[in-house]
Amino acid sequence: MSLYLTGVFSYKDAAIQAVKDLKAAGYGPEDVIVFSDEPVEFPRGVLDRPSHMSLAAVSGAITFLVLCVSFVYFTQYNYRLATGGMPIFSFWPTSVIFYEMTMLGAILSTFGWFIWESGLLRRDKSVPVPAIEPEVICLRVRYSPEQYETAATILEKAGAYSVARLEKAA
Amino acid sequence: MALAPIPYHQVRDDLWRPLAGASKRYTLTLALLSAVALWGLIAWGYQIHVGIGVAGIRRPVFWGFYLVDFVFWIGISHAGTLISAILRLTDADWRKPVTRAAEAITVFALMIGGMFPLIHLGRVWVFYWLFPYPNSRLLWPNFRSPLMWDVTAISTYLTGSMIFLYLPLIPDVAQLAERTTGWRLRLYKLLSLGWSGSDREWHALERAMRLMAGIILAVAVSVHSIVAWDFAMAIAPLWHSTIFAPYFVVGAIFSGLAGLIVALNIIRRTMHLEAYLTPHHFKNLAKLLLLMSLLWLYFTFAEHLTVWYGNEPKEMNIFGARMRGRFSPEFWVMVFVNFVVPFVLLGIRRLRSITTATIASVGVLIGMWLERYLIIVPTLSMPRLPAAWGRYSPSWVEISITVATFAAMAMLYLIFAKLFPIVSVWEFEPHAQEEE
Repeated sequence: MSLYLTGVFSYKDAAIQAVKDLKAAGYGPEDVIVFSDEPVEFPRGVLDRPSHMSLAAVSGAITFLVLCVSFVYFTQYNYRLATGGMPIFSFWPTSVIFYEMTMLGAILSTFGWFIWESGLLRRDKSVPVPAIEPEVICLRVRYSPEQYETAATILEKAGAYSVARLEKAA
Repeated sequence: MALAPIPYHQVRDDLWRPLAGASKRYTLTLALLSAVALWGLIAWGYQIHVGIGVAGIRRPVFWGFYLVDFVFWIGISHAGTLISAILRLTDADWRKPVTRAAEAITVFALMIGGMFPLIHLGRVWVFYWLFPYPNSRLLWPNFRSPLMWDVTAISTYLTGSMIFLYLPLIPDVAQLAERTTGWRLRLYKLLSLGWSGSDREWHALERAMRLMAGIILAVAVSVHSIVAWDFAMAIAPLWHSTIFAPYFVVGAIFSGLAGLIVALNIIRRTMHLEAYLTPHHFKNLAKLLLLMSLLWLYFTFAEHLTVWYGNEPKEMNIFGARMRGRFSPEFWVMVFVNFVVPFVLLGIRRLRSITTATIASVGVLIGMWLERYLIIVPTLSMPRLPAAWGRYSPSWVEISITVATFAAMAMLYLIFAKLFPIVSVWEFEPHAQEEE
């Protein structure tokens, strides 16, 4: 069974130390989540969150490009206009549309990936979320019942001014 | 001189205060703007009912105020997303209180600008013919038409701009949701998507914003290039120019910046955000405006010099009409307000202030509207065949709709500023206040 506790920090350095100590004690990146009212930048290697957003954007762009080129190509040939010997499918005048649709693909896939990667619409409702005060950093640690002492001690030692068990909101 | 930093709780209070309640002056202004916007809708309704003939567009000038307004508003839309994206990508720290106000301008200006092709259609009820689907004879739209370029470009830009405005709004609406009740709570909760402030969310947001800034920059440049190509693709005198796309992009950023400065000064005064929108921000924006003014002059000069040197009769007719003929008053007013006024007011350091930046910006907005008018109307009224020359004078319908769009822009902006913090709270790091 997973339980949660929080440590509240006033200073970023203390929070970084707590994360490092928790990792050394065997807690993985999924066990430690940082909550704050504003973005907190941790040094590389402390709590990295790998991302594939750029890849998603490029994939979305390529997908939309291929779909758009196919769509324009096949619709132009679907009804052959008399073009007086000029090509029915012409790259130059349609390239603008391809470009815009490629960009639209990148935009939509970036947004979609943001929703996915941030976990906004797929949150486990049974996991409690701490209420955050402004200008503090809150660490939520997932622990098993026998690990409470270890986790709480690490947080306190690192400089948390408040350590508490986190109950699920009613 | 630097004063003490503003505490974070005060930042929140100051930036959230304008959202609470509505003063009598706000309600009155909103009602007035709505009335003007409604008048524009009535004028449009009249045009739909009677027909496009009620507009002043006649042979040979088939593009009049509507197309001038279209190009103008698409240009204004460059205020936000493009400027915000450039400042985000270059990590310009001073941008933070400016970006949201700018991004909102983009969305509303695009909405308004995007309506003009529909208004210009006349028979607006068949607008869906622009959608890519086959008609009853299985004929698909002509994807080679610049009109289709506009449809795809503006749709992409509007989608991107709305997402670009929405993404950094999420943390703010999540915070607001904790402190409101009623319909506002429901609205903010819906928009916040359950934002909790976890590092995973912040990381994803920052990555998305960085990526979006890069993408939107490329889209914004393409959109105004495409608007320029609407003209440049026609073999019409003074339109068929290779520098039209960059010329239009420069003009768009120029007018967009001017629109942004005017909007920020109004926000600053009406919402009492003097501590957040400081003279420092206006001075930086004023410098950018001055730079764009010089760039605009360079492009205008380059465009006219090559025409003059080429001495091609069909082009020289229009050139002459602009320089010393019937369009010369508009031309020289444009040069005066687009170059002379910003150069004097913003170029001389002692004169550079919030007030002078706003005066110069209002001038630039007028000048850039005139520039669009001077690009469209003279060329159409003097086609290659002199026997086909004609004149254009706008009707009350066109004037009403034009005026109404300015009112609609202000109205949408006022409503937005009442619903959402116009300065991004989470991005605003407490800093030393500046003395005016």
